[in-house]
Amino acid sequence: MLSTDALYLIFFTTGFSVGFGHCIGMCGPIAVSFSLNLKGKSILLSHGLYNTGRLLTYAILGGLMGAAGSFTAVSARIAGLQQGAMIAAGVLVMVMGLALNEWLPFVKYFRRKDPAGGIFSKGFHKLTAIRSPYAYFPIGLLLGLLPCGPVYTALVAAAGTGIEAPGTLYGFLSGAGLMAAFGLGTVPALILVARLAGIGWLTSRRLICRLGSILMILVGIIYVIKGVRY
Amino acid sequence: MNQLRADRTLQCQKARLKRFHFFVLKVSFLFFLFLTVMPAARISAAGPEDVIINCNIHDGSCSQALADLEITLDITPRPVRAMQDLVFRVLLSGGEPQQAPFIDLGMPGMKMGPNRVILEKASRSFYEGKGVIVRCPSGSRTWRATVTVPGKGKVDFIFDVIN
Repeated sequence: MLSTDALYLIFFTTGFSVGFGHCIGMCGPIAVSFSLNLKGKSILLSHGLYNTGRLLTYAILGGLMGAAGSFTAVSARIAGLQQGAMIAAGVLVMVMGLALNEWLPFVKYFRRKDPAGGIFSKGFHKLTAIRSPYAYFPIGLLLGLLPCGPVYTALVAAAGTGIEAPGTLYGFLSGAGLMAAFGLGTVPALILVARLAGIGWLTSRRLICRLGSILMILVGIIYVIKGVRY
Repeated sequence: MNQLRADRTLQCQKARLKRFHFFVLKVSFLFFLFLTVMPAARISAAGPEDVIINCNIHDGSCSQALADLEITLDITPRPVRAMQDLVFRVLLSGGEPQQAPFIDLGMPGMKMGPNRVILEKASRSFYEGKGVIVRCPSGSRTWRATVTVPGKGKVDFIFDVIN
């Protein structure tokens, strides 16, 4: 059986290789959507915070798997949360896409004096105008729950380290470490995609924004459908 | 006068070249966006059409020949579902290897990370281990179990699971 240190290295390199294959396909659209939404501003900070949040969620999930020493027991409990995260990701990307060109009729309505002035309208307005880089940390925390095959595989290994661990705390730490190593490996690919999708260098952004909006809406719909069917 | 005209022509050419560069950049950027964003849709639609399923694991065990060995794979409980604890059994007929075989689980055409089922000897020529087949949110259900017999080689069992 492999040592935990060797497993960390294996899953870091797995994360790196999977990042440039699977993750770009599955999570790349989200990274691209965020970059388009940011309109080229604070991309590295925003995506750095997004990835930090995602890694933290991975580490917590890995820790739970390691502490329980069972993948199926924990995954059954978080399945509903993951489905919710997938639908939330779809809605978020869709709203960002619609708001990018102010195609959302509600945006204009909420920008006027809202007679209700309720939490819903304020929250909705914030959702359509996520520009602060710090907002991407909680988004990362939430989207770290997105169901993904390679993440599941890493979680199986995290649960495996827990089985061999001498105690629950050691199991938690080894599982969390393994998932953090895996997540860290996926970061370069997503940062690269995010950086390339940053449109700050373009002088004329109208066409990009319009087409980007359409793509974001499509991706959002796909995520929502996948989430509902999951 | 001619000098002025030449300067203007040069400036026009420079401006055209600049516009052309931006056009190329824009087209490249849109192509990049398309390549990056579309896989999310493509992955769900892409079925493993070119992958031949050679085992119906829900009905029972499957066998394949490897050199002078016959390898039989069985997975329980049946029907085989993703995201549940499974028991993998391998029976080797026609010889006994120096080391225990092992199983690597993966999806054809999709990189899922290393998921190895360590098998232990349960009786003569009979090996057993526990593992999990994870669910792929893309909707793909086709999995490949590669049984490796050290010193002999490996065989692929390709089957569908229930998500």
